Amino acid sequence: MIAGISRSLALAAMLSASLALPALAHHGWGWTEDGFFELTGTITAIYYGNPHPTLDVEANGETWRVDLAPPRASQNAGFMEDTAKVGDEVTVLGNRSRDSAERHMKAVRITVGGKAYDVYPNRAPAN
Amino acid sequence: MEEALATIEQLAPVRALKASFYAYPLVNALHIVAIGALWTSVALMDLRVLGAFRSLPSASFLAALRPVALAAFAAALASGVALFSVRAGHYAGMGIFLVKMGLILAAGINLFVFDRLSRRSASNGLLSLSAAVSLILWTAVLVCGRFIGFL
Repeated sequence: MIAGISRSLALAAMLSASLALPALAHHGWGWTEDGFFELTGTITAIYYGNPHPTLDVEANGETWRVDLAPPRASQNAGFMEDTAKVGDEVTVLGNRSRDSAERHMKAVRITVGGKAYDVYPNRAPAN
Repeated sequence: MEEALATIEQLAPVRALKASFYAYPLVNALHIVAIGALWTSVALMDLRVLGAFRSLPSASFLAALRPVALAAFAAALASGVALFSVRAGHYAGMGIFLVKMGLILAAGINLFVFDRLSRRSASNGLLSLSAAVSLILWTAVLVCGRFIGFL
């Protein structure tokens, strides 16, 4: 019976591992490339709230998902709920997904309306 | 469907949770406590059925843990609905979220089957199979749930 339990646990572990392997973590920065990436386009959708705000940005006919810092950190950077609107031109500096097929990046600095907002100030490059 | 999900996102308490600094992480913490208690109580019951902790009488062991699991599930459901509501449309469109819901449904059906089998005093083999399935399903639910935050 103990062998049966071990088998069950091994199966559960294998199932967990098989689910875990193909997924890229979008918490933290482990899923992003090391070097900076810059995206310029038009905002098509804004989500401002928990767990973290996101922008959808259309550039060259493709829609990118841009993850921002959590609401409080974005507010501390001066990027408020009404700072950007759908239709605004935006330039995002940050790190893109290591998966080159994925149109997904995490913002460090957002420039909109001629003003730059460092949502991750400790990662943002000096001007 | 999309309209219903958008309506959920616009409810006053949902909007408050979406913008909150303290409430959202606290609801998140409640969800973690609940799923930890749920997984642990379920795993202990499954292992008992599979033959572990033989010194403890099975009936009273299961009777003690089942209310813990049900209360934990209720807390996980309530906090999960709250977490879902802030971006209902977004989560409902995620494959991993739908897989998780399907696995919870499967675990519910498995619980129903286990209950029926044990009432009919079914063979230990069938009950053990159901317990092993339960352990695998709830572990998979937990893993899928965690990946919602990473996709």
